Amino acid sequence: MLFIRRYLIPRLIQYVLVIFVGITAVFFIPRLLPTDPVARTIAELRSRGSYLDPASIDAMVADLTEMYGLEGSSFDQYIAFWQRLFRGDFGVSFFQFPTPVIQLIKAALPWTLGLLLVTTAIAWTAGILLGGVAGYFNRQGWSRALDVLAMVVRPMPYYVFAFILLLLFGYIFPLFPVAGGASIGRQPSFSWPYISDVLRHAFLPAMSLIILGVTAWFQTMKLVVQNLNAADFVQYARFGGIKERRIVSRYVIRNGMLPQITALALLIGQIFSGALITEIVFTYPGLGTLLYNAIMTGDYNLIMGITVFSIVAITTAILVIDLLYPLFDPRIRYN
Amino acid sequence: MKKLIPLLLVALLAMVACTSEPVEVTRVVSEIVEITRVVTETIEVEGVSVEVTRVVTEQVVVETAATGPGVTPLNAPDVYGLPRNQMLIVDILTGRIGSPNNFNEWVGWKWRDRGMQNLANEPLWSVDFATGEIINGLAAGDPIYNDDFTRLEIPLRQGVAWHDGTPFTSADVVFTVETLMTTSGLNAHTFFSTNVASVTAPDDHTVVFELNQPNSRFHTTFLDRWGATWIMPKHIFEGVDDIVTFEFNPFVGTGPYKLHSYDQSGFWTIWEKRADWDKSPTGILYGEPGPKYIVFQYFANEGAKILAHLTHQADVVNLSSDGLKAVLAQSNSSRAYQLSYPWVVNNDPAITGISFNTMIAPYDNPDVRWALVLAIDIAQYVGIAVDGAGTVSPVHIPSLGSYPADFIAPMQEWLSAFELDLGNGTTFRPYDPDAPQRIVEYVQNRGFVVPEDAAARAQAFGLGWYKYAPEAAEQLLIKNGFSRNSNGMWLLPDGSPWVIRIQTDPNMATDLHSRNAVAAAQQWKAFGIDAEAVPSEARSTLFQTGDFEVSSEWPAQEPWGAGADLYRVLDNWNSVYVKPIGEVGAHGGRWSSPEMDAVIEQLRQTDPADYDAVVAIGIEGLKIAVTEMPSIPTFGYIGFIAWDETYWTNWPGAENPYTQPYTHWGPFKYMTPFLQPTGR
Repeated sequence: MLFIRRYLIPRLIQYVLVIFVGITAVFFIPRLLPTDPVARTIAELRSRGSYLDPASIDAMVADLTEMYGLEGSSFDQYIAFWQRLFRGDFGVSFFQFPTPVIQLIKAALPWTLGLLLVTTAIAWTAGILLGGVAGYFNRQGWSRALDVLAMVVRPMPYYVFAFILLLLFGYIFPLFPVAGGASIGRQPSFSWPYISDVLRHAFLPAMSLIILGVTAWFQTMKLVVQNLNAADFVQYARFGGIKERRIVSRYVIRNGMLPQITALALLIGQIFSGALITEIVFTYPGLGTLLYNAIMTGDYNLIMGITVFSIVAITTAILVIDLLYPLFDPRIRYN
Repeated sequence: MKKLIPLLLVALLAMVACTSEPVEVTRVVSEIVEITRVVTETIEVEGVSVEVTRVVTEQVVVETAATGPGVTPLNAPDVYGLPRNQMLIVDILTGRIGSPNNFNEWVGWKWRDRGMQNLANEPLWSVDFATGEIINGLAAGDPIYNDDFTRLEIPLRQGVAWHDGTPFTSADVVFTVETLMTTSGLNAHTFFSTNVASVTAPDDHTVVFELNQPNSRFHTTFLDRWGATWIMPKHIFEGVDDIVTFEFNPFVGTGPYKLHSYDQSGFWTIWEKRADWDKSPTGILYGEPGPKYIVFQYFANEGAKILAHLTHQADVVNLSSDGLKAVLAQSNSSRAYQLSYPWVVNNDPAITGISFNTMIAPYDNPDVRWALVLAIDIAQYVGIAVDGAGTVSPVHIPSLGSYPADFIAPMQEWLSAFELDLGNGTTFRPYDPDAPQRIVEYVQNRGFVVPEDAAARAQAFGLGWYKYAPEAAEQLLIKNGFSRNSNGMWLLPDGSPWVIRIQTDPNMATDLHSRNAVAAAQQWKAFGIDAEAVPSEARSTLFQTGDFEVSSEWPAQEPWGAGADLYRVLDNWNSVYVKPIGEVGAHGGRWSSPEMDAVIEQLRQTDPADYDAVVAIGIEGLKIAVTEMPSIPTFGYIGFIAWDETYWTNWPGAENPYTQPYTHWGPFKYMTPFLQPTGR
């Protein structure tokens, strides 16, 4: 009970407050941008060659303002937004009018989750393990070789690295497709041909994220573990005759993982913002380009829809990690 | 871990193997090949067996399996069961389709170039800017107006059917117009509710409009120039409760193709040739389309697009200048619109340039605007912007199609005599008919070969532009109170530094608006102005609301691209449409003049089909625009397209421009009957 009263309830209040403040900020910030959704829609229609009778533009502005729900003050819109949100309604996309925002998110989310959850998990696990072992055995030749490799790969700009992969395996050795999440003509189905097709299309985007991700986790973990090597408890374990394998796994890597777990939680939360550059290089579907286009077109509802997911995901991930931390670090006790 | 790596490798190889298409062997090729090998033999030397080794060169016959008669094996397999050699794959110009399930073109923006406007829909009329013709689609002929332009009759084509078999009739047109008049939320609602008093159908193939006020250009709302008011299939829409939210999926049209399938993520749309293609205006006019399937595919970056093109996975791609050069350098099977320099599509009916906000000083002063024109060396400008590939125009319409003959050539005498008052009794004639020659010299210095023929050069580079006259520009500015500081930089009349920030598109390397901005900034900087191109994602909004001083947005509304009527260009400068800064306006520059209003009014009273009259009035309008120079027209819009001839040939290139060359324009459907399969 002490845990609930002293920690859990205040922490949950903080959780709700952070979400509220985050959503409120994201509601007002796009409205400060110079991009006006009504003007942007008219500009889009005109720049795409539609001849809008100049005499009709005033009435069109009024129509669109009404249809987009942009009448009244920002505060009125803000209240209406919360009323809609409590009903689970994000409204309709302005630029993809009248498509509901939730429909657009539903179409993009599986691609983003599928790619980023898997690649983040693989990159984190591999990076932590490799970095931990290489950090412990940092005087070994293979450890130094891995370090050099990571130092060469990690500073490469992601766009360049990803495009090199595309060029190598999409063109020079055409093993993988150069664009798309699945083959042209193939409709989603829970069948092996479709799943294998999706995996084949996801391979290069995934490799680009995994390779760079592994090097990043590897380097940070290796540094942490190198410092832990000199820690008293590790030395004590060595002198105590504990097997090296046990020292590596239970003493060194487990301790070195603690800050990485927090970083992982934050990263998982950020997944809901998508991987914009990956989506652009590999013409891959996902939330990144959806959010980018929403910002560019002043699509307030769509921006809100995606960022609400992102805000809730990040704060929830941090909350969960906070609550689970005692499992990873027995020194922490909330009561 | 030891087990995991081989497992992953095997999985990878298996995946590749599973997804590779089987190769159909259709012939065996025999070749004579010279080989060199090492032979080890045992020979008897004086009764003793000795092993010797020697090198042997010999010719052998090698037989190999091939995939087809004389065909180079291709990387591109059939597309998910659809035969690649009956399929045309093109990229979608306007990007990933944001609402792929929604085909309701009458509400908002629906990525109509995904194949809707260019394959599946037929408008009443279409502009073909390559031929300068207006093609009758669903209409059987021109509109017939009464004398005061308050009534018009449109004859409709007979024998047309929607792709679901329902005949197309005047009832569809009447239903569409009445729906647009009564349904708020549809794009054209205001236009129709304001203009139309009634619409009736005296028979199945005639529609009659009664208008609320005279409007000699009313019918142009149905004229497809990359968009128009489309006709709804009455039998589909009449049962719909809420047309604004109706998705119109699947799309039902009168074009020669029908929807086959599309990607839920908006990456591709496949269209299939109608079995009854002869019931579409395209089929009736031009015959059977060639490709059985046409795919519109999205590529998020140009690199991937080029790789897909080079591996025959995308037949037609829209590129940047550098992208096109890369493709032509790498591909043996691709061609551009023109077979030699400048390769590009240079007959797009749009003029690029620089716009001024004429409500903001000092750009409210025509002398200042003209000074900025004279500070431009157009040869350098076009060189910086598009490596010399632009066709310049001294007036606010592009120098393409019939416009040079109809307007720019007849204006040469007036342009040459046109004078600017530099102050102190000095005048200056800014026009330079030899300006294109300066561009030719630039191009030749770059090592490109240009045609010797004067007509061909005029077509490629234009008929003239303005002199590079920094001295005259200086006099104009001094006349208006400008001065230079000790560093030679220009100061405004109030003594503050003259800073020009040219608002433009963020895509600085490829977008033609940006290329104009970069070139103008460089030229004005050299003249002593603190000028810079400033990219902004919000530029289109800022332009419309007047929140800018100088922009590289369109300097004038684009003309139709067919016919001689410039009403579309000039009416945009009508003073009634000018809005205060902060409100969305028809033209961001916010320039107007009583003289131009009078010309517009004159055009309104004139039958657009009266060639002599519309040309004469149009020239008067262009003269006013040149005199006032509310914006600077520079060069015509340029398209960088590459066609892969591996599967399809007979593209409408510059040597055979039987129709406009783009796959994203409406008349692409009229190209399809002329495309020929290579048989690969």
